[in-house]
Amino acid sequence: MTIAFGFLAGMVLVSALGVVVSRNVVHSALFMSGSFLGVAGFFVMLNAPSLAAFQVLIYVGAVTVVILFGIMFTQRPQVRHYRTIINRQFWAGLCVAAGVGAFLSYVLWIEDWSSAQAGNGPREVAQLGRDMLGVSPGSEIFALLFQVVSVLLLVAIVAAIVVSRRKVGTGVDRGVEE
Amino acid sequence: MQTVLNLLEAEPIRLLLSFALILFLVLNLAGILTFAERKVAAYIQLRYGPNRVGPRGFLQPAADVVKLFTKENVMPHRADMWIFLGAPIAMFLPAAAVWLVVPFAPRSVVADLNVGVVFFIALTSIGALGLIMAGYGSRSTFSLLGAMRGAAQMISYEVPLILSLLGVIMLSGSLSFQDVVNSQSGGFWHWYFLPQLPMFITFYIAGVAEARRVPFDLPEGESEIVGGFMVEYSGMTWGLIQASEFASMALVSAITATLFLGGWQPPFEFLDLGNFNWLWFAIKTALIIFTFQWIRWSLPRLRMDQLMDFGWKILVPVCLIWLFVTAGAMLLLPSVF
Repeated sequence: MTIAFGFLAGMVLVSALGVVVSRNVVHSALFMSGSFLGVAGFFVMLNAPSLAAFQVLIYVGAVTVVILFGIMFTQRPQVRHYRTIINRQFWAGLCVAAGVGAFLSYVLWIEDWSSAQAGNGPREVAQLGRDMLGVSPGSEIFALLFQVVSVLLLVAIVAAIVVSRRKVGTGVDRGVEE
Repeated sequence: MQTVLNLLEAEPIRLLLSFALILFLVLNLAGILTFAERKVAAYIQLRYGPNRVGPRGFLQPAADVVKLFTKENVMPHRADMWIFLGAPIAMFLPAAAVWLVVPFAPRSVVADLNVGVVFFIALTSIGALGLIMAGYGSRSTFSLLGAMRGAAQMISYEVPLILSLLGVIMLSGSLSFQDVVNSQSGGFWHWYFLPQLPMFITFYIAGVAEARRVPFDLPEGESEIVGGFMVEYSGMTWGLIQASEFASMALVSAITATLFLGGWQPPFEFLDLGNFNWLWFAIKTALIIFTFQWIRWSLPRLRMDQLMDFGWKILVPVCLIWLFVTAGAMLLLPSVF
């Protein structure tokens, strides 16, 4: 268990470092998928396979692929190299990282972990679904949050279509006679 | 003997052994499927196909493997080496790992995850990553074009693939493949392909697209972009890409058989073979693989805009409509389900 934890932690940290240090945007995106996979491995170790599967599905399978897709669509190969990206915002980045690290350490410190146990709590997939839909007692707020996020995504999708749509008369679409 | 068996049953050893066995199975499957592909192609085109190595050409896959191993692995000078070499592995491992949750027989499943269906979807979605890695790493225009097409296609067809699974999940009330198979027991009229016929057809079509087979082989498109994302690969790296393609084709067939055609359940109750029920699973999977090959040698390739139109304007609405029909039927006729 300790060996697996050490391996996963090393994988997450090394990949995360690779994301920041690497000079090629595509390399950064691929390192990021390695980091996400390591986090999925942590979920497996915590006895929450459903979370691990969703982590892989959403972050590795969708987010990274869409990011790579975007990189390849928007940039020419010559511009994919950022030589000075490490130097540009060094201090600001350090402050943000230190702040997040301090906050997480504080939460880790004040929380009482003696009763926590891997695999307990609302991690079973059926229970998780009920909580998401707000049917089980005490979780009604989640239904509202879930719907708000859905509406937000819908707005984003419609906006993307409106932004990327060609105006009538400017440019001929493939196979469409104007 | 018993102590050895107990040792093999202990947890890390059992999982590692099963995974090694699965890898062995998938690699061999790829070899056999290359041979099957060539034979089916030949007979559809009124030829004999490979018939020189061994009786009726049965040893042809072995000869192919020897040839691939002895071939030089050529890499373009300006290629991104680690991405180029990592891509075949990133394509093969997810396709092989999904076999861990496929139930072969009543008690033969390596890991009976309670989220097996989600596991399948999650690992299939990584396949697009390997495709992009191959296309980008080669540093070649044809490869990049193929990878872009492949990524667009796999992202788009994942939506109907996932939506078409929901009906089965609603009817069986579980995300575990083992439970889905168990709830289809008792004759072929209990299999889910009858109440879920539109979903079954959608899943089949989206599965063909996810396996990048004709008529959805635009990322490869050998007549327009000469081989797409794998144009720069040679030798065993190319062999691994081929193996992952065949593994994902067999995988989609096996999942289709499991979810919609009853998995290892026999078509009639009196044909129950007990522990040998894996034969039914094998027969169903092989039949679906054969239909894939049949389609490959009968249909022309779609155009890119036709592909997108078909996925988003036909498959997704069909899935959504049938989802509501299923939900309504379950609500109004609770006695049937």
